[in-house]
Amino acid sequence: MKNIFKITLLVLLFSISGTINAQTTKPAKKAAEKLDRSVMPGPAPAPVINVGKYEQFSLPNGLQVFVVENHKIPRVTYSLVLDIIPMPEEQLTGVSDLTGQLMRTGTTSLTKDELDEEVDFIGASLGTSATGVYGSSLKKHNEKLLQLMSDVLLNPAFRAEELEKIRTQTLSGLKAQQNEPEAISNRISKLLIYGAEHPYGETMTEATVNNITAGDCKAYYDKFFKPNIGYLAIVGDITLEEARTLITKYFSGWEKGDIAKYAPRLPMAPEATQVAIVDRPDAVQTTLKVAYPVQLQPGDADVIQARVMNTILGGGTFRLFNNLREDKAYTYGAYSSLNTDKLVARFMATTAVRNSVTDSSVVEIFNEMNRIRDEEVPMDELQLVKNYMSGNFALSLENPSTVASFAISTARYDLPADYYVNYLKNLAAVTASDVQSAAKKYILPENAYIIAVGKASEIAPRLKQFNKTKAIRYYDYEGKEYDPDKKVKPAPEGLTAADVNKAYIAALGGEKALSKVKDVTILATTSMQGMTIGFDTYRKSPDKFMVKISSGEMVFQQMGYDGTTAKIVSPMGGESKTLDGKELEDMKIEAAMFPELNFEQLGVNQKLEGIEEIKGNETYRVLLTYPSGTQSTRFYDVKTGLLIRETGDQGIAEFSDYREENGIKFPYIISQQAGPQNMDLKVLVVKVNTKLKDELFQLK
Amino acid sequence: MSSPKKIITLAGFLLAFLWAGAQNRIEFTEFDLDNGMHVILHQDNSTPIVAVTISYHVGSKNEDPERTGFAHFFEHLMFEGSEYIGRGQFDQIAMNAGAQLNANTSFDRTFYYLLLPSNQLELGLWMESERLVHLRIDSLGVETQRAVVKEERSQSYDNRPYGSIMEKTFGTAFTTHPYRWMPIGSAESINQATIDEFREFHSTYYVPNNATLSIAGDINLEQTKALVEKYFSTIPRGTKELYRPSIVEPVQRAEVRDTVYDNIQLPAVIEAFHIPAMGTPDYYALSMLTTLLSDGESSRMTKSIVDKQQKALFVSAFPMALEDPGLFMIFGIANAGIEPIDLEQAINAEIVRTQNEELTDLEFKKLQNKMETDFVTANSTMAGIAENLSDYYMYFGDANLINTEIDRYMKVTKADIKRVAKEYLTKENRVVLHYLPKQSM
Repeated sequence: MKNIFKITLLVLLFSISGTINAQTTKPAKKAAEKLDRSVMPGPAPAPVINVGKYEQFSLPNGLQVFVVENHKIPRVTYSLVLDIIPMPEEQLTGVSDLTGQLMRTGTTSLTKDELDEEVDFIGASLGTSATGVYGSSLKKHNEKLLQLMSDVLLNPAFRAEELEKIRTQTLSGLKAQQNEPEAISNRISKLLIYGAEHPYGETMTEATVNNITAGDCKAYYDKFFKPNIGYLAIVGDITLEEARTLITKYFSGWEKGDIAKYAPRLPMAPEATQVAIVDRPDAVQTTLKVAYPVQLQPGDADVIQARVMNTILGGGTFRLFNNLREDKAYTYGAYSSLNTDKLVARFMATTAVRNSVTDSSVVEIFNEMNRIRDEEVPMDELQLVKNYMSGNFALSLENPSTVASFAISTARYDLPADYYVNYLKNLAAVTASDVQSAAKKYILPENAYIIAVGKASEIAPRLKQFNKTKAIRYYDYEGKEYDPDKKVKPAPEGLTAADVNKAYIAALGGEKALSKVKDVTILATTSMQGMTIGFDTYRKSPDKFMVKISSGEMVFQQMGYDGTTAKIVSPMGGESKTLDGKELEDMKIEAAMFPELNFEQLGVNQKLEGIEEIKGNETYRVLLTYPSGTQSTRFYDVKTGLLIRETGDQGIAEFSDYREENGIKFPYIISQQAGPQNMDLKVLVVKVNTKLKDELFQLK
Repeated sequence: MSSPKKIITLAGFLLAFLWAGAQNRIEFTEFDLDNGMHVILHQDNSTPIVAVTISYHVGSKNEDPERTGFAHFFEHLMFEGSEYIGRGQFDQIAMNAGAQLNANTSFDRTFYYLLLPSNQLELGLWMESERLVHLRIDSLGVETQRAVVKEERSQSYDNRPYGSIMEKTFGTAFTTHPYRWMPIGSAESINQATIDEFREFHSTYYVPNNATLSIAGDINLEQTKALVEKYFSTIPRGTKELYRPSIVEPVQRAEVRDTVYDNIQLPAVIEAFHIPAMGTPDYYALSMLTTLLSDGESSRMTKSIVDKQQKALFVSAFPMALEDPGLFMIFGIANAGIEPIDLEQAINAEIVRTQNEELTDLEFKKLQNKMETDFVTANSTMAGIAENLSDYYMYFGDANLINTEIDRYMKVTKADIKRVAKEYLTKENRVVLHYLPKQSM
């Protein structure tokens, strides 16, 4: 079966492309003539656009093979794609991806190490994915590559120990994504556009990745890796006959099989525009998307019209880019895309903007979406975009794999055999009214999701106006929805902050035990850049306090309070000062042995704000306000009563590993965070009532 | 109006080293115009397209330390328009002709390209000559691009995990040489600069005697020469002194270590070693050493640290190909639960191996096969060929290295690789950075 098409097109477009400036178009002059730079040169006669030829054959097992000869470089590349309609993976989400990776880790006759050595030794590349295999090498190593490729495709080993390595890598990758705004945005966008039950809406999580076994991967492979849904493109320094011989030799043993049919429910655009936020409190930019599902299949009658329309809107440096970047300077880039897909397609506008213009950016995106629906595109703008698109088409033909991809799309989507040959002609025929019809059909500003990944406290109030349903929806980075107002749940009826404080005192050892304490010495260490730092704290009843930071004999800093004067000294240089004002006032409270015993007398106001979950534990959240106005928030574990976190202007401190000394519990690990610095203090020893002298607290 | 991806490419630049063409010779002709502009032409009529590229030998290293980011800022300004091209029209004209265009800025040079249907060659030459001779520098364009570059910085550096790594590494490794700042520069510098300063920069560096025009594709050599003469020969030679820093970075005598807290989840380790400039014999040996360490699944670090020990998500070693002495960099992201110090020790163990053991013949052959494949397959596009010819000429004065540079790699011996590992990958000569997650509530 030979299906050759070699079509040569004289494309009128290339002469039309000067239309806008037709009045200035003139042929190239000779160098000797005086140059008038104000004259923009026109094009020379249009070149011949040759879409290129491919040849095709198939194996008895159904594998369809497309060959594009190109002898410029002595290299051959093979890419096999399987026409798999994805199925929901549910609790095993990620199994297709992991299978794709696992196939590259060894065959029944080669371990991963052996396979890697063989591939690298010939300077080749060989990759596998959920939907195919890719290989490339120099012509002289061609047969060796095919032998490896066919082994990987037909005899994958699915070794459990290799899956474990991939799992570790995948989990690390998921973790890394938690801080990539674009990755988070893509996750949540998929979830909203397609829905959690649709295969396109699923994303793997730590839990689903942990569920997957080597057996699951083999099952996925057995279900989908069949030659009768395979399209193999061969591009490069090879002839049809060479290809036929080699492919017959290496791929005939691949057995065909039935593929289960599956048709997921069709996702619909939302009935009214919905705002969704993923909170990143540190973000300096908002990653913004406006998106929704649409019905647009490859080969649909209006695909080219729809593509022209999207290009005008934002498929390059056009309306969105011109508006948001060049006119308003809100962003480094703003684009839109409209894909085609057999199951379900989607529209998406995307940009990243500084927090303060998040709302203005949405306004401008909607303005552009409405404009392309409501107004016919001006002729010169339409012509510009058509010229740009036909130019891109022509430029893409430089790469021989473009022709191979045309051939595969033609076969895979049942396109007319001359679809790509006629592409430029059909593109040229698109009118302004076609564009507007496509916009009315595919651009839906009233039925969109607005997905914003950024600093919620700043952007949520700005985005509220766009939300036309009940409320803004909040998601965590994994796509779990939560109610931001319910982050803090109400405390049980009747419970007060004083009760929580009392429970804390009881948990520490009780009022009686605490009041017996005359002095305390806590020796702790932390490590900073490889150095061990000592962090020693001394307290003496009722209100003396000293802390010393040192390494060996070197004392970096000391802070002391003798009941009246508070001083900071820095023997190694740095700031030394005597505290006054608010700082001194607060010191009086902080220096108290157990201020909790006397909050009322000290004038500390406590307010129970509710129950909040911290690291999986429920805590009572209590706001403390000192007489000076200084505030801090404390979190007491509901179960144990102990203080586990305190946050304030100075940063965050977390307390854990409580151990008993003299009948009183002390936290042995204190993790402090101030600004970007983390410091974990590990307590070595706690000594109680060792008769500390008053002089210790008077710093010179 | 400018285009989407004015990314400062460092990586693209590294690749410029692996080409040449014993089996597929790249033919070209070259000449100088009277005004000092160098012109290189490569003819290939197989597809009706042409790449028109122009390189200016100015990068961030030519900048005044008080005015960093200037070279890159020009990459943006150059799309703003000129005397005969209205504001915002540069891109429009290109797109109307069915062309693609973009630019990038490195430490050493600024590169612009237009990829056009071949019947639009003359248009491309007119556009490039227009913005060389008549660039419009006004407050509207400058103000807009100031804000855009700020957002570029946010998107590419500040809001991106590990986005600050290059800046931090170069800022730590270089104390004196202008490689200590990145091409993106500082926002303050750009904010403080006056219109006159921008005009001064343009009239100094954007001159024919500081430019290489490289054209590849479906052209006729004689016609193209005539067109180049027409648009470029009347542009006067620059008269101002071109500042070429002769600053020599003092030899580093002790290891420098630092810890950086960033918005990341997984710790990262960076090691950077001072190495000679690209083009030197040791540079080629070091470049092959990076391939040995991390190119391919069976490469030393990938096999041992990523696959066997499972300590890293990935580890990559790469030479920063720079005109002045640069850096040999290793960058690894730790797997969840792995401390940076563990990853660092694993990396160091592989370095020590290269210093103590010579490669086996088989491994060395594999390395050479890899270099050969990279070199044979690299010049596959017209835009790539034009850029490579231009870079080889600009940095080494020898465009023919596009065909012969592979010989320099093939001259490297197993002993050379061991020797450079010992000589350059030392503790005293390195900067080590640990990137740690900033913890949030």
